[in-house]
Amino acid sequence: MKIKINHIAKMEGHAGFMASVLSGNVKSAKIEVKEGVRLIEGVLIGRHFKDMPVIAQRICGICPVVHNLTSIKAIENAMGIVPTQETEKLRELLEWGQIIHSHALHLFFLSLADFLNIENDLKLVEKYPKETKKAIKIREYGMEIVRIIGGRVIHPLTNEPGGFKKAPNTEDLKKIVQKSGEILTEALDLGSFFQKISLPDFWRETEYISLSQSGKYAVYDGDIVSNRGLHIAVDKFEKNFLELQKQKEVVKKVEHNGKSYMVGAIARVNLNRSRLRQEAYNFVNNLGWKFPNYNPFNNILAQMTEVIQAICESATIAKQLLQSDLERVITEKYEVKEGQGSAAVEAPRGTLYYFVDIDARGYIKNVNIITPTAQVLSNLEDDIAVYIPGIMELNEKEKEKKLRAFIRAYDPCISCAVH
Amino acid sequence: MTLKKVIKEEKTKKKSETFKNFQNKKPKVAIVSLTSCEGCQFALLDLGQKFLDFSESVEMVDFRLIEDEEDTGEKLDLVLVEGNPVTKENETLLKKVRKRSKILAALGNCAAMGGVPEIKNYQEGRNTIKHVYKYIQGINNLEIKEIDNFVKVDFVFPGCPINAEEFLFYIPRLLRGETPVIPDSPVCVECRKKGNRCLLLDKIPCFGPMILGGCDAVCPTAKMPCQGCRGLRPAGNIKAMRTTLQKMMTDEEFENMSEIYGLRDDLEDKLGETI
Repeated sequence: MKIKINHIAKMEGHAGFMASVLSGNVKSAKIEVKEGVRLIEGVLIGRHFKDMPVIAQRICGICPVVHNLTSIKAIENAMGIVPTQETEKLRELLEWGQIIHSHALHLFFLSLADFLNIENDLKLVEKYPKETKKAIKIREYGMEIVRIIGGRVIHPLTNEPGGFKKAPNTEDLKKIVQKSGEILTEALDLGSFFQKISLPDFWRETEYISLSQSGKYAVYDGDIVSNRGLHIAVDKFEKNFLELQKQKEVVKKVEHNGKSYMVGAIARVNLNRSRLRQEAYNFVNNLGWKFPNYNPFNNILAQMTEVIQAICESATIAKQLLQSDLERVITEKYEVKEGQGSAAVEAPRGTLYYFVDIDARGYIKNVNIITPTAQVLSNLEDDIAVYIPGIMELNEKEKEKKLRAFIRAYDPCISCAVH
Repeated sequence: MTLKKVIKEEKTKKKSETFKNFQNKKPKVAIVSLTSCEGCQFALLDLGQKFLDFSESVEMVDFRLIEDEEDTGEKLDLVLVEGNPVTKENETLLKKVRKRSKILAALGNCAAMGGVPEIKNYQEGRNTIKHVYKYIQGINNLEIKEIDNFVKVDFVFPGCPINAEEFLFYIPRLLRGETPVIPDSPVCVECRKKGNRCLLLDKIPCFGPMILGGCDAVCPTAKMPCQGCRGLRPAGNIKAMRTTLQKMMTDEEFENMSEIYGLRDDLEDKLGETI
């Protein structure tokens, strides 16, 4: 028998699902990507490197910040530009802001309704007005951080190779600190609400991959590590991970040692939880999980954990920046040089990798972009193949609902996956 | 009247008044997305409560970002189209929603001007794909064309992404069946009001003077020069602008900058030559 879902709504981009099951055995389970190819890597070739962060961030309307940051870091690595500590801090704060608003959108507005048996967010909002207000408030706090630093939320403007075109003003940075207490309380409240939601029971072991750093919960920097002993520098990424394109497929899926693997909030919490801030650590600790936790539905709770983490970190970084000379974030003159550079940043959905090759005039010779969703699609398909036999008893509509919920819990970003 | 003033005036009206002509029967609205980053939809969602108010004032027939119900295929009063038809399916969908709807509005730069994917038209065209994929057979790789090449477009919300406040301002008028016109005023008007120092004075190439305002000069305020995502203003003096910019950038740089948001073909049309 065939299971077919034409279009999965409430996620970023266009995709459907198709599986074929023969006498109880899943023969194939496949996410069908229906996104057009914008060829962002292709259009970057031959252009000046300064256009790259501007164009590359337009890969994604939810997570432009991380495409912007990762392309900037790759360019800096290619040309040997070393940004100031203040610049790096401000960028990290920008990334935490991005994580807050992306996670808040996914866990509340995209995924939550699935576990409350609601099909339309307008109904969700009606039924849970108090929680909605909290989710909007948290999301707005994250957006505010991006707006203050980047100049606007979608496709921010100030960040460039070498530093920032404009420094945020101190009054605005103070607001980030001042509001953090109240927002943290809202997040902890929302966390208790999520804690009570019963998520489906599902377990399949896999390899978790993320950046990792000693002394802090890594998002902006670090090495690439896994729960199976991998530990490599970012510039070894393409040597260790294999990007594959099958005929007629527009997403180049990625394998590690010939197998699928998982990135994103669930991977990071599994790998780096000991470096979480107290409030976030307590939250995840109270969930009573057995680690490593291999239930992908828990991605939602991992995202909640990271929202708490992000609020705490944002306040701390903003405080540190207020005590430093903000003018030091302004881009200083640098020399345009030939070179190759790679970089990785933890996007809300997982490790985002960029490679760029620049000529002596500053024009781009080659680019490679490997997005989190391209990395997890195979893992998602492998998961679903194991999940389907357990839901075969359900009628067609119910089965479909369960599968939609499963796919959405992964928080895929199809625009990113294709780009 | 400047856009800001108009917005302010409109804001002071009560919600019921703004939407009064369709209080009895809610207008049917759909927001559809072709190939894009979906940033324009998120700009709407980012309005938070204001967007929820808008959603409640209309009947949202299709908006896949917030609901999982099947689209009924019924007639529409307004359809908002984001993105660009990069695939055959995109093209079919675009034509289908045009037939269903009284009014069709382009939502953002990709739909209106081709967006960043249009860069490929200026490069190797359909061969750009060879840099990205090993197997290119069976992949839809249409030439990038603005949606008005396929269907009639009644109104354009310009920008990459759209200005959501501007959306809130024009949407009630569209829903009342009016066809508003964005005032022909350059980005510079709002930029000056913000108290920004003109980037051109510092020899930083900026397209502001020839580009349609209404964006609150968000880019130059962040010291990012205007690269023209909102498109040419009807009365802009493009020749004079080009002469001014020739003192600060090479022709190659001018060409490159005009390609980012699909402005180059519009410039060529106006200048009547290949730039």
